Amino acid sequence: MFGGLALIIFVSFDVEVMLEQKSASDGWRGEWLEIAEHVVLPLLLLMVPMFFAVRWVIRTSLAPLGTAAARMDSVVGTDRGFRVNLEEFPLETQPFARALNDLLARLDDVAEQREAFAANVAHELRTPLAILMIELDRLGSPDALRLKKDVAAMKRLVGQIMMMAQVEAHVARPVPHDIVSLSDVAIDVTNRFAPLGAEQGRHVALAVEGEPMVSGIRETLAAAVSNLVENALRVTPEGGTVVISVGPDARICVRDEGGGLSAADLAALSQRFARADHANAGGAGLGLAIVARIAEIHHARLVTNPDRKEIGLLFQGVHQIAEQSDRQLS
Amino acid sequence: MRGFVLGACLAMTVGGSVADWCDMRVLIIEDNDRLAGLVSHGIAQHGFSGDGVGNIDEAEAALASVTYDAIILDLGLPDGDGLEWLRRERPGHPLPPVLILTARDGMGDRVAGLDGGADDYLVKPVEIEELAARLRALLRRPGTRSPPVIRAGKLAFDVAARTARSGDQAIELTRREADLLELLIRRAGAVVRRSTIEEALYRFDEPVTPNAVEAIVSRLRHKLSDADDPDRLVTVRGMGYLLRDYGD
Repeated sequence: MFGGLALIIFVSFDVEVMLEQKSASDGWRGEWLEIAEHVVLPLLLLMVPMFFAVRWVIRTSLAPLGTAAARMDSVVGTDRGFRVNLEEFPLETQPFARALNDLLARLDDVAEQREAFAANVAHELRTPLAILMIELDRLGSPDALRLKKDVAAMKRLVGQIMMMAQVEAHVARPVPHDIVSLSDVAIDVTNRFAPLGAEQGRHVALAVEGEPMVSGIRETLAAAVSNLVENALRVTPEGGTVVISVGPDARICVRDEGGGLSAADLAALSQRFARADHANAGGAGLGLAIVARIAEIHHARLVTNPDRKEIGLLFQGVHQIAEQSDRQLS
Repeated sequence: MRGFVLGACLAMTVGGSVADWCDMRVLIIEDNDRLAGLVSHGIAQHGFSGDGVGNIDEAEAALASVTYDAIILDLGLPDGDGLEWLRRERPGHPLPPVLILTARDGMGDRVAGLDGGADDYLVKPVEIEELAARLRALLRRPGTRSPPVIRAGKLAFDVAARTARSGDQAIELTRREADLLELLIRRAGAVVRRSTIEEALYRFDEPVTPNAVEAIVSRLRHKLSDADDPDRLVTVRGMGYLLRDYGD
C-alpha cells in the first residue's frame, strides 16, 4: 500500500516537470494522452496485483499471531506451562513473542508461589492444631467435646488446602502416570474407610465388577475416591451403606444413601469452596473441587447419577478404548 | 532426656485393661516441647509410659540406654529428617515398631513413610484416643513384645490359653473360632480380607468350601453378640471382616 502511494506521489511530481517542458509545443490534449498512456495505465496494471500481493504477505506473516492468540484463549482455567512457539513467528515479531513467554513464565511462578504459600501455612497450622486437640482432650468437658469437632473440621480444611496445592502442582509439573488397577484403588479406600464408617454406625462396602486398568497416579486417584467417600458418609444416615464400586467399564463410583446430586449441582460444587449444605460447618469445602481437578489430570470425567445416588470417575480407560475399537470393527 | 518422663503407670485412671500395657515404654521424638509433653501425658492416661526427646541425637542416646516397645516419630526434626534417620537405622538395628506422627500429609508421604520402615502413619492433629488405639494395634502385631492377653475394648483374648472373655464373662470357643478371633483381634480396627482368613484357617491341603469362612464368622459373631457386643464383629461386604477396637 505504502509503495503504491509513494509511486503516485513520485509520478505526480514527474508530471509537473513534463507539463512545464512540453506545454509550449504540443498543447494540453497531447500532454494528457501521454500521461494516460505512460503513467496511469501502468500504474493501474501495477496496483491491482500489488494490492493482492500485499494483502497476502500481511496475512501469511501475521497468521502465527492469530493462531497463538486462539491457542492462548483455549488454555482453560489455571493450566500452566503454556508458551507460544517462537519458531512459528516471523523474525520481526520474535522479540515480542519472547517477551510474552517471559510474562507467562512469571505468571506461572506467581501461581506456584501462591500455592506453595497456602501449603506452607496449612502445614505450619498442624502442630498448633495438634496441641489444641490434645488440650481439649484433657479438659474432657462437654464444651471441649464441641470444640474438638471444630478442630476436626479445621483439620479437614487444612488437609484439603494442602491437597489442592498438590494437585495444582501436579498440573504444573505432570508426574509420570503408571498403569493403575481401579480395584486396587477401591480396596485401598475401603480399607481406610470401613473402620471409620463402623465407628459412625455406617457400612462401607466394596463391589468389584471388572478389573479396569487406567493410566494414572494411584495415590492421587485414591485421594479423589476418598473425598467422594467422605462426602458419602456425611450424607448417609446412620445404619446406611456407602458402596465403592468398580467397573464393568473404566469407572470407579461411590454410591450413598443421601439425596443424590444433579449434574448442575455437581458442576457448581466442583468450584472451590462451594458446598451443598451451608448450614453444616464441617461441609465438603474443597472436596469436590479436588476430585474434579484430579479427574481432569487423568482425562476422566466426574459423573453423577442422581437416581442411583452415585458419583464417580469415568475414564477414557483401556476397557473403554477396547470396546470402541470393537464397535468400529463390527 | 527432658523433664516429663512419666515412668509411673497410671493404672488407676482407666481400669483393668490398662494393666496389660503398663510396662510398655514409648519413646516420643518430637521437637515441639509442649506437644511432646501433652502426648506423653495423654498416652499415660491409657497406660503407656512415654519419654520425650527433641532431636535425633537425644533419641539415639535414649534408645541406647532403654528398651522401648514403640516409637512415636515426628519427621521434621532440628538435626535431621526423621524419615531419613529411620531409613538409615531400620536395616541394621532391631528398632521397636515406629508410628510416624507428622504434619506432612502429601500424597506419597504416607507411602514413603511406610516404605521407609514405619509401621503406622498418623497426621497431626490427632486425638489421644486414636493415638493410643494405634499404639495398641502396633503392639498387638505378631512378633512384637505383645502382651499375653490381647485386647480390643473389653474383649480380651489369651494367646497361650486360647480363651476369650468380655469383661468378666468367659466366651467358649472352638479351635477354629479361637484362631479366627486371634487373627481379627491382632488387627482390631482394620479390615481383614476374606482370602487372608481362608489362608490362615485352612492348611493348603484342606478342602475349603465356599461358605466355610462365613459359617465360622457367623458362629463367632453370635458368641460375641451374646457375651460382648452385637456390633463388635462387622462384615465389610466385598472385602472381609473387621473387629472393632472400642469401648473399654
